[in-house]
Amino acid sequence: MKDQILHTLRELRAYALAKGVEATFLYHEEDSYLMRFANSAISLNTNEHLIRLEITAYKGRQRASYSLITALDKLEEMQQGVDIAAEMVEHAQPLNYQPTVPTYTESFSDESAYDPALATLSNEERLVFFNRAVAGLETDAQQLSGIFSCGENVIAQINTRSEHTQYFKTSDAQITIVLSHTALKWEVIAEQSAQQVGDLNPDALQRELAFLVEHYQHDTPQQLPLGTYDIVFGPAAIAELLGMMGYIGYNGGLMKRGYSFLTEEQVGQRVFSPKVTLTDDPTRRETFPFQRDMMGMVREPFSIVAEGIFKGFVWWQDEADEFEAQPTGHTVPHKSVVMQGGDMAASTLEALVAQPRENDVLYIPYLHYMNIVNPSKGLITASSRFGALLLKKDGSVVVPYNVRLTQSLLEFFGDKVAWLSQAQVAANTSMSYGARNPQAIIVPALMQVNGLEISHSNSAY
Amino acid sequence: MRKQLQEHIARLRAAGAHYVDARWYPVEETNDLLMWNGNLKEASAARESGVGVRVLYKGAWGFSAASDTSNLTALFDKALDNARIAAERVTFPIRLAEKDAIQATFASPNEINPFTVPLAEKVAFMQAMDAKLNQPGVFQRVCALTFMRKQIVFLDSEGSEIEKIITEVFPTIEVTGLDAQGEMHSRKFNPARMGGTRGWETLDMEVFNANAERIVREMNEVLVADPCPKDVRSVILLPGIMFLQTHETIGHALELDRILGYELAYAGGSFVRLSDFGTLRYGSEKLTARADATIPNSPGSFGYDDDGIPAQNNLLIDKGLLVGAITGRQMVEEANARAGKRIFDGSGGANRATAFYRVPIERMTNINIDPGDDGTLDDIVRNTERGIILDGDKSWSIGSNREQFHFATDIGWLVEDGQVKHVVKNATYQGETVPFYNSLSAVGDESTWEVQYTPNCGKGQPNQIMQLGHGVPVCRFDNVKIGE
Repeated sequence: MKDQILHTLRELRAYALAKGVEATFLYHEEDSYLMRFANSAISLNTNEHLIRLEITAYKGRQRASYSLITALDKLEEMQQGVDIAAEMVEHAQPLNYQPTVPTYTESFSDESAYDPALATLSNEERLVFFNRAVAGLETDAQQLSGIFSCGENVIAQINTRSEHTQYFKTSDAQITIVLSHTALKWEVIAEQSAQQVGDLNPDALQRELAFLVEHYQHDTPQQLPLGTYDIVFGPAAIAELLGMMGYIGYNGGLMKRGYSFLTEEQVGQRVFSPKVTLTDDPTRRETFPFQRDMMGMVREPFSIVAEGIFKGFVWWQDEADEFEAQPTGHTVPHKSVVMQGGDMAASTLEALVAQPRENDVLYIPYLHYMNIVNPSKGLITASSRFGALLLKKDGSVVVPYNVRLTQSLLEFFGDKVAWLSQAQVAANTSMSYGARNPQAIIVPALMQVNGLEISHSNSAY
Repeated sequence: MRKQLQEHIARLRAAGAHYVDARWYPVEETNDLLMWNGNLKEASAARESGVGVRVLYKGAWGFSAASDTSNLTALFDKALDNARIAAERVTFPIRLAEKDAIQATFASPNEINPFTVPLAEKVAFMQAMDAKLNQPGVFQRVCALTFMRKQIVFLDSEGSEIEKIITEVFPTIEVTGLDAQGEMHSRKFNPARMGGTRGWETLDMEVFNANAERIVREMNEVLVADPCPKDVRSVILLPGIMFLQTHETIGHALELDRILGYELAYAGGSFVRLSDFGTLRYGSEKLTARADATIPNSPGSFGYDDDGIPAQNNLLIDKGLLVGAITGRQMVEEANARAGKRIFDGSGGANRATAFYRVPIERMTNINIDPGDDGTLDDIVRNTERGIILDGDKSWSIGSNREQFHFATDIGWLVEDGQVKHVVKNATYQGETVPFYNSLSAVGDESTWEVQYTPNCGKGQPNQIMQLGHGVPVCRFDNVKIGE
């Protein structure tokens, strides 16, 4: 199949050259499977096989693109797409900067993050996994929800500047399991990210869920008083916060447009806790990485924050062109963000609960519906969800109703950071809007931040 | 193609499927244009076609979709296979509410198909807007145009055959400035749907010119304004934020699949329980809300949903009392069975899919608030002792059961003793859904009512984006926390 894809791209390149069209071609193919559960049943079992082709035409400073969902044998339809893009670019207004057209100096192929055993899991295997992950936990009142999403993803590229091609193939799975109480309305969650079939571990999910259910079954939920709390965040919550930092923090283009809480003057300065080290590391297979960016630039580990010191912005090629910055190899569908672990041995909720503590600690595994209140200050708001616990200093555990946090990312990752787990976890952050784009952020399993304020506290679920 | 689809539908029925439908998209076109500070950063078009097949087998759904329609046998068989494995884990066997078999067509009203308008003309419109926004104080200016056109052919095993052509135009302009502290503040304009159509003709240059001047002026006022105080006041929500309040805390809260737990692992649930219908005082007597898919000029009107149910106008909240939900064929049957009584009298016609490769789920149509009898905006302000007028959807975050919320707006105007005093920046408000709507103390008349649209409502797994609308008046709520 790979040969056929690259052959088709070469044919399209030849067609564009014959027509005198400067163009780039981005081929995307996905084979996606999603089994969705609700109310302890399979509420939907779906698959799709889609091939997308994006053609971008250039004429000096003019640029236009045309995309189509197509089939690999529909060369004529794809060639018509070249004609449409060529027609569009004639009428596109020139940019006030020169956009860079990629020129690949060599062909590149990476299938190292592809595991056929994961990509070709059967319906039956997905169901067996789920049944094992919730074994003994379902009752008439405690019901299962969640997804088992898996598939394979191919991206291939060529352009009219050279004959070289780029080819990336990955496999991925994202598992989310929620157990909820039909009458009491509490919900607890466990998640897993897999790049290869060996990453799948239903028993680990079962243990995690069983521990949470044990508390939620027997403890009466309480409304927490407003005020400041020492909060331990789980992997999903940490990844969500880091994702937001990638958007309104170290993104060079958005910084230039005024949408960042970080400034160019802060490069080289200590902005975050010395415990925070953040790298874009495409060598980590769990992140479904790109070792070349879409422009053909070699991607190597890129330091974003080193022991609290802000090292620099990342630049997408087009933003670098517009703002006369140096591109950093970040013209990619997603980065490979890794947050370094710390020195805390505890890396599971069970271990966290077991360890002695001097103050009450609020555990929040998941932040729901995060949004930006004030990008210039890094101010975000979100609510806790899925299995928060208040760990009292006397060793007891309280189930709280959900709470809202409205705080700056500078607070979440600033001097209030108390500790980070040594162990790291891949938190799957994939969405399934549009083309498949598996992604994960590697984070410390747990992160404690002291003195964060709760701005709203629910009195019920 | 239709004949082939019907043959495969019949074949799967013969193979034991209880119900089969197919949605064939001969063509779906989109055109996205984005001009940022005068640069045409995006000039893109897209075209897709394909078939999605949904099969109900032994009480469970299977779905399969492909852009390559050369092997329909494999596509239909895969959908049936997917349903067969789903049938191994059924807790409530799916039943579909009764409906009539319908042969019909629908086309959203438009005078000028935007896909017949040359790119140069579209770019010229944006250049004119960009020039209008290029004023002192403006740091960033954005002009965006999105056009969509979908042809959808729906066929099912119950004899329905419906063809729809949906055309949409979504324009927006926005300006951003930096205040003395370097903080950014934005103001945007998304035109209300004033006419009866939804084509290229809805882009009225005069309306855009006037509003371009207004948003630049208001943004510059925000740049030199004091911060919004932390306080408890009446909030007067203009349609530019009331539509989103309605969307998030009435619309999503009343999607029946959320109420029944079908979104628990992702989008979330709802604080509403089946026992609440007919009993829950959702808001004050001034609140009447409806799901109205019959108004002509909104993306929430689509003729027939993807179950093949005709568009309807259904009450959701009647003078404060919860009476209805946003429903499709599957969920009403399950809700009635679980409740042990007939809450819902058939499907509400709100089951829609974003593309041929996604399965239909409950989506908002036009979730509207009826106009009230508290007069114009000026009348409401005149009758407000301590309040704040809010507009512009800057930020929104809602609890997972839609039970509480936090919104930030682009602009606020403090009101004291019936007078508008001055602009404030970084305005926010928060509350709990039911107490908030029960504090509704004034609803503006027809002069304040506007149809706003939402072009990108996200829900479901696999994720889906949907277009819909909200007809809302100016509303005032009392004793609301602001500025936090």
